[in-house]
Amino acid sequence: MKTNKPKNHLISAALSLALLASSQTAWAQGQAPISEKDYLEDMPVVLSVARLPQRLDETPGAVTILDRRMIRMSGARDVADLLRLVPGFRVSNSFESNSPQAGYHGSWGDYSNHIQVMVDGRSGYSPFLQGGTGPGLQTVAIDDIERIEVLRGSNSAAYGARAFLGIINIVTRDTVDTQGVAAHVARGDNAIQDTLVRLGWGDERARFRLTADRRADNNLSGASGPAAVNRFNFRTDLQAGASDQIELRAGQALIEAGVGFAGQVGNAPRTRVIDSSYLQLDWRRNLGPDQDLALQVSRTQEFDRDNFPYALLPGLTIDFGGHATNDNLSLQHTLRVAPTWRLVWGGELRREAVVSRPLFDTDAAFTTDFTRLFTNVEWRPQPDWVLNAGGMFERSSLSGEHVSPRLMLNWHLAQGQTLRYGVSRAYRPPSTFEKSANVRYYDPGSGALAGATFVARGGVEAEGVLSREIGYLGEFPRLGLSLDVRGFQEDVRNFVRLTTYPLSFGLQPCPAGTCAYDFVNGENFSIHGFEYQLKWQPWQGGQVMLSESFVDSGWTDNGNLAARPFSNGSLMIMQQFATGMELSLMYYRADSTNFPGANAAAPAMSRTDLRLGWPLRLDGRRGELSFVVQNLGPAYQDFIPDFHFRRQAYVMLRLEG
Amino acid sequence: MTSRLLLLPLVLLALVRGASAAEPVVVIVSSERSPAYQEAADAALAELARGGLPVGDVLQVTAAELVLQRATPRLFIALGTEPAAALAGRETRAPVLCTLLPRASFERVLRESGRRVSDQFSALYLNQPHTRQLDLVRLALPQARRVGVLWGPDTRQQEAALEAAAQGRGLKLVGAQIQPHEPVFNGLKRLLDDADLLLALADPQIYNSGSIQNILLASFRAKVPMLAFSPAYVRAGALLAVYSTPAQIGQQAGAIARGVLQGQPLGAPQYPREFSVSVNEHVARSLGLNLEPQVLTERLRRQERGS
Repeated sequence: MKTNKPKNHLISAALSLALLASSQTAWAQGQAPISEKDYLEDMPVVLSVARLPQRLDETPGAVTILDRRMIRMSGARDVADLLRLVPGFRVSNSFESNSPQAGYHGSWGDYSNHIQVMVDGRSGYSPFLQGGTGPGLQTVAIDDIERIEVLRGSNSAAYGARAFLGIINIVTRDTVDTQGVAAHVARGDNAIQDTLVRLGWGDERARFRLTADRRADNNLSGASGPAAVNRFNFRTDLQAGASDQIELRAGQALIEAGVGFAGQVGNAPRTRVIDSSYLQLDWRRNLGPDQDLALQVSRTQEFDRDNFPYALLPGLTIDFGGHATNDNLSLQHTLRVAPTWRLVWGGELRREAVVSRPLFDTDAAFTTDFTRLFTNVEWRPQPDWVLNAGGMFERSSLSGEHVSPRLMLNWHLAQGQTLRYGVSRAYRPPSTFEKSANVRYYDPGSGALAGATFVARGGVEAEGVLSREIGYLGEFPRLGLSLDVRGFQEDVRNFVRLTTYPLSFGLQPCPAGTCAYDFVNGENFSIHGFEYQLKWQPWQGGQVMLSESFVDSGWTDNGNLAARPFSNGSLMIMQQFATGMELSLMYYRADSTNFPGANAAAPAMSRTDLRLGWPLRLDGRRGELSFVVQNLGPAYQDFIPDFHFRRQAYVMLRLEG
Repeated sequence: MTSRLLLLPLVLLALVRGASAAEPVVVIVSSERSPAYQEAADAALAELARGGLPVGDVLQVTAAELVLQRATPRLFIALGTEPAAALAGRETRAPVLCTLLPRASFERVLRESGRRVSDQFSALYLNQPHTRQLDLVRLALPQARRVGVLWGPDTRQQEAALEAAAQGRGLKLVGAQIQPHEPVFNGLKRLLDDADLLLALADPQIYNSGSIQNILLASFRAKVPMLAFSPAYVRAGALLAVYSTPAQIGQQAGAIARGVLQGQPLGAPQYPREFSVSVNEHVARSLGLNLEPQVLTERLRRQERGS
């Protein structure tokens, strides 16, 4: 339990800060009676420049917003489930069992590492192994999420290297909206056992939320064991004065899943545990209606435990475990220079450290320091034209300096209709594992080197993408309709891929005898196509969301597979009846796609989900009873041929008071 | 201590002297000497001057200084709640025009002093009539039907009047009662689910510099814009506000004063005739609205003149 020590520090630091905060909540009550002062006195600026987000038709890119209503009515138990509703995404929440796959415009490996995930402004990207979004997507309970904004397309200019092809922004609910006690319990097929308890308290000056939840099931046929997430998340919002706001967040997610297969000595059945925790402090200072400063300090830790005895060599343990930490300090200044100029600029210092004897054959930490400077200028030369020009300069101690610029022009060609065109360049530096992997096995008896699997030669460099896009956004309020179309051309260069090379003490059989794995910069390819998303409110209480994407990807896994186009789509129909009852129907489909190594690994799939919800009133408390069936049709193969997603139903009771 | 005792008769002497030198015709009493009161006083002075009253015939004092003031003018103008209360309790033959105070404050002054509205004691309110606020809702947000209001101790009694005004305009009131010492956000949350806009009515228990942050953020998140009662709220993040500036109040008070000096009665309490509309263009833009404050003011004026 040695590894628990730093984590406990993190949690206790969070709790003591929270206590400190709650002791300062004395709030001036006993207001004077009404007088002219109420009409004449000054007020602090609340909706300052940084608080007013860009309108959808003026953002430099395509955005899909999944709001609370949609999240609730989807019946989804996971963020990854929801991403099926986003054009261009292919999702498997069972692929790695405990770490979902959500890839945009392609599935290129075991981990979704070509998109970034942010949770309340903090990066949830895991630097472990090849990097990935799996643990980040499972940071918070779905019930605590206000909305998910998916920025489709490269966004390194604003979010750094990991936003190679897109961003998933998870925004949790404001503490104002989660006052009181809430709880839910779900039970269903495949041992679905979800439980949540949430407490919200506080006043105008300081508000708190503590959510503890568990999501567990055994829904993946072929998996060696159940999957479960146990989480807690704490958040406090403090009003530290008329123009200062402090937010403090802390949380932990313990993700456990049965992985491996019986009969595979090199991948034996076992429980893999990802223990991820974070502490985040945000301080916002308002400098008037036209200026804001935001400071963020955060630390994220991840412990991975994943090992099993190697049957062929008693005493030898195969291990993929280790731990990673991210420390971040960032400052952002938003200002309205003139009515037609808005500027965001700032910097970030970030340190990522990965420690794993099994992966790197050393107990030393691999530390990568990032220095980032970023800016975006929004200029409105004419009322109908908006130009967003921005970029990020990033220096990484592992892979040098990169500049990711972006230029996007939005033209409001008519009331409610916008055309958008832009170009951006993005990079993804290799992860520590891709650059420095050194997985060696030693004879437990003699201590002699017995073999090696991943031995990186360190030659891999950042991969890059040049994205061009043309977009159309139409809002037709009279028809209750909005349409978003995005045409894209994404030219990927120096794509990082897995390779083997002869190594005397390697294990893979290869022409020269034994081989080891390494990551190298491989093929250059283009992805082009278009996608659309249509939202329609055809009648009172009804809403339809339809999205499709058509992708022609030139990716061939370095010539191993034939390049082929694919498409996927989703349809969600929601209806709320006058009685308060809710009905929603979701349909998802995806063509088969290329997957590294085995074409059979990503076959076509389709799935239909149904949800029924009834509002409840119990003892003056509001509640809801819902019934969800996921995958009404036959089981479908979820990536690896051994895994099938079966039909499953669950019932959920939710109470709020 | 001795020096203080010596000083007081001197000050009194000075005041008596000043008063006897030329008895003021109008005494303007302000709650305090801050820019808003001075702006109102200046506008009243200018209006009186236009009516031929020399500036020297008007005396300006604060409510605190009133105790020392024995002048017997032909009219008192009280700027604010504090001088209104002070003058309500004072034996004076001169009529008192209470202004730059909201209706609720004036009514409390009446209750607490036992005075009644008469030609001797009346008011020009600082706040806007509900009809004007709701007409602005119809002009600025024609799609909005459900008007959300947070009712507190100082506004509760306006409910029936606002309800009637709303009905006449095809609007529906959605209200939430906020109990004393209850956090505002409990009621606000319920309200924002059902309302198309939030009509803020001044009530320090609900709207104050401590609560405004939560109210504005929550209403912005819910895409329920706020129609507020002062330009400070617009600067803070309300979509728009209709209000009368101290200068507009002062000018109208000056005009009423001119009438009184010409022998007209003080008349019944009234709402301000002149008003301004201000819009937070950044909030409007992010809500996808295009509102021109001048156009709204002009249309609202025309509409009021027509009716």
